[in-house]
Amino acid sequence: MADVGYINQDSFLHRLDARTKLILMLAILVVVLVFTDPIYVIAILFLVLGAWKLAKLPLNMVGDIFKYFTGIAVIIFVLQAFFYPGETNLLQISNPIPAIGFSGYITLQGVMYGLALVLRLVVIMTVAPLLVMTTPMSDLMLALVKFKVPYRFAFILTTAMSLFPSIQNRAELIQQAQLCRGVGDFESGNFFVRLRASASILTPLILGAFRDSQILDVAMSSRAFGAPIQRTFLLESHFRQADYIFLAGSCLSLVGAVILRIMHLGVV
Amino acid sequence: MDRELIIHGENLTHIYPNGVEALRGVTIDIYRGEYLAIVGQNGSGKTTLAKHLNGLLRPTHGAIIVRGIDAGKAKVSELSRIIGYVFQNPDDMLFCNSIEEEIAFGPEMIGCSKEETKHRVDEIIQVLGLESMSDQHPFALSLGDRQRVAVACALSMEPEVFVFDEPTTGQDYFGGQRIMSIIDQLHASGKTIIIITHDMQMVAEHAQRVVVMSAGQIALDAPPEKAFTQLEPLETLSLRPPQITRFAFRMGWTDHAILNVQQMLAAMNGSHASSKIETGGEAK
Amino acid sequence: MQNIIEVANITYAYPRTDIPALNNISFSVPQGQFVAIIGPTGAGKSTLCYCFNGAVPRLFGGEMSGSVVVAGKDTYENEIPVMAQHVGLVVQNARNQLFNVNVQCEIAFGCENLGFPRQKIIQNLHDALTFVGLQGYENRQPTALSGGQQQRVAIACVLAMEPDVLVLDEPTSELDPIGSEQVMETITRLNRSLGKTVILVSHDTEFIAQFADRVLVINDGSLVLDGSPREVFSKADLLSSCRIRPPQVCQLSYELRKKGFPITDIPITIDEAVTLYEGLQHG
Repeated sequence: MADVGYINQDSFLHRLDARTKLILMLAILVVVLVFTDPIYVIAILFLVLGAWKLAKLPLNMVGDIFKYFTGIAVIIFVLQAFFYPGETNLLQISNPIPAIGFSGYITLQGVMYGLALVLRLVVIMTVAPLLVMTTPMSDLMLALVKFKVPYRFAFILTTAMSLFPSIQNRAELIQQAQLCRGVGDFESGNFFVRLRASASILTPLILGAFRDSQILDVAMSSRAFGAPIQRTFLLESHFRQADYIFLAGSCLSLVGAVILRIMHLGVV
Repeated sequence: MDRELIIHGENLTHIYPNGVEALRGVTIDIYRGEYLAIVGQNGSGKTTLAKHLNGLLRPTHGAIIVRGIDAGKAKVSELSRIIGYVFQNPDDMLFCNSIEEEIAFGPEMIGCSKEETKHRVDEIIQVLGLESMSDQHPFALSLGDRQRVAVACALSMEPEVFVFDEPTTGQDYFGGQRIMSIIDQLHASGKTIIIITHDMQMVAEHAQRVVVMSAGQIALDAPPEKAFTQLEPLETLSLRPPQITRFAFRMGWTDHAILNVQQMLAAMNGSHASSKIETGGEAK
Repeated sequence: MQNIIEVANITYAYPRTDIPALNNISFSVPQGQFVAIIGPTGAGKSTLCYCFNGAVPRLFGGEMSGSVVVAGKDTYENEIPVMAQHVGLVVQNARNQLFNVNVQCEIAFGCENLGFPRQKIIQNLHDALTFVGLQGYENRQPTALSGGQQQRVAIACVLAMEPDVLVLDEPTSELDPIGSEQVMETITRLNRSLGKTVILVSHDTEFIAQFADRVLVINDGSLVLDGSPREVFSKADLLSSCRIRPPQVCQLSYELRKKGFPITDIPITIDEAVTLYEGLQHG
């Protein structure tokens, strides 16, 4: 693995400039938040899944995302279905309970809205990996800097993600060390035992991270981080024809979404 | 000689989830009371092999039997009463507010009674000479002292076998000597010792058996006075015997490896008297 | 020869401590010298390393007196990034000093911070990677490399910034034998081929005896000995009181000298020892 989450492939998405992909992602997020009709949201979801396919990304990861998300999705859906103030009653399940704002009926609008909300979240969760998996972190940082995000902030954001695997390795090592001290099974035992077991992992991990950060500070300063000099960049980014096409597409879809919304289309 | 087999590894193979084959058919017997050093480059399989002894890793193929127990299946907490594993970096395990508390943690976790735990803690503090610092915070200690506390924690499980992962790394000569004298002391009290290390001088001066690993296999398994005569195979593995051993070779002592300065002195005295060399491992 | 480093009477204590970590240390280093620093753990070797670019006291706080001047720049007057143009510091743990997403970005990082033009960065990146023997590793993730490779990347990182002096704090202490060998070989070439001034902290006295021009012995924060490897490794008692283990051929020679062997110069390398003892045997 050359980069966190990055999957090295050759696809149109991999070749797009990171800035284009950031804007494209934002456009999709805005559009998906504009519509409340699940049909529209489903259409966008299929677009995103199509992009997964075209970017040669493993589709079974989408399945994993769905799996982790099922529980939350059910809760969100049920809450909306019960409490959304709709007009078309579908099913009466109890007498009205004004104290919690429940009319006693499940409404068509509530079901639709709940469905749309769940689908929106699915879109958001499938769009983000699309960006991360097709863009090396170094390109992403450069894109943020070009968007006038302060260099320090962009650097910290992308570096934090690249340090993640080594923190994970260390956590694994610490867990092994504590296993050897008879911490049998982190799920078992009474509350107090479990508390100590988790402290035995978290304490060394946090203290270690603190020590590392001091040395990191020295190492970064020693490499002239924060020098009062106009910084230069090794990596360059260039827009190509495809980037302009996608940028234009993003703008058009945003405008289109707003027009549809004004015409009350795509809204429950 | 009747020796009690304590660890038996049979054709051990370990393939990590990323596809790396870290062990490729390792067969090894370790007897009670041995003092064994496992050497080799990083990635040669030393640590992978050691972590099979207490169940931290499970064999992909083959079997590992520890004192009659199938270590491929037994729980780590069960195996850690037989195998004490001291990790390289003590900071990966210390987390309590005092050294006493730290040593008591293991016995408490495996369900020892209050009295039993206290008994173990007191005894270990005395054996390792930690009295003066027993109520101190582990993080207030020097690295060398923290490492002694890590050994104390392993001792508190009362294992028969100790695995030390790089015990002298990151320490100066004095710190290294101090930890080695503790290990020698454990060995003298009948414990079986397994050390994973890059420190050839330490191997020459302390170990009684050297297992050289390379690319997931055992390349050489011999007492140090034999192992360190194999200059060519060692060189292909980029392992360099101690300076005094190489010096002795240059001077023509080639049938037995000279393992330390004292042996070299004895050998030179001998050669002055009769120009014949009669020395070797038995000097230890 | 002109002195590239001037250290004058530095005394330093970390915050919230009474005992000074460095105690009235003075020395100067001519350009191109290979200086080794040895001493027991806790003697102040790392602290001394941090002084060369001003990380002590700027990042660590605490009280410091005396002065450190490198390439004419005083660490009191110049910020660490300014000093970094003259002093490349490789800290002890390789893992902690690599924080970029790939090797290429890692090595370019310092050059970018110093505002080098892009063409120069590309050239320095290429030269530094070639020098440490890691061509083709540009897109590898630093944390996925072996310890020895990481340490060589760390050296390439400071080398690309074109410093006059490289300070390396125990670069091989956590490496396996192959890794150590390659890193030490790289450090020797920094000095011999590129003419860089090298300050190396290490416990590897055998390597130091063979390659260093000069050895500083630090104990309890003080500079207790400053001389050529032969001068330093001849002082058996002083080394033992500082808990330093000299090369084994030296240890052997101390013992033989005690027994009355006629040894005027203590041999410090295997070759020297072989020559000496073959002569003694035949003579």
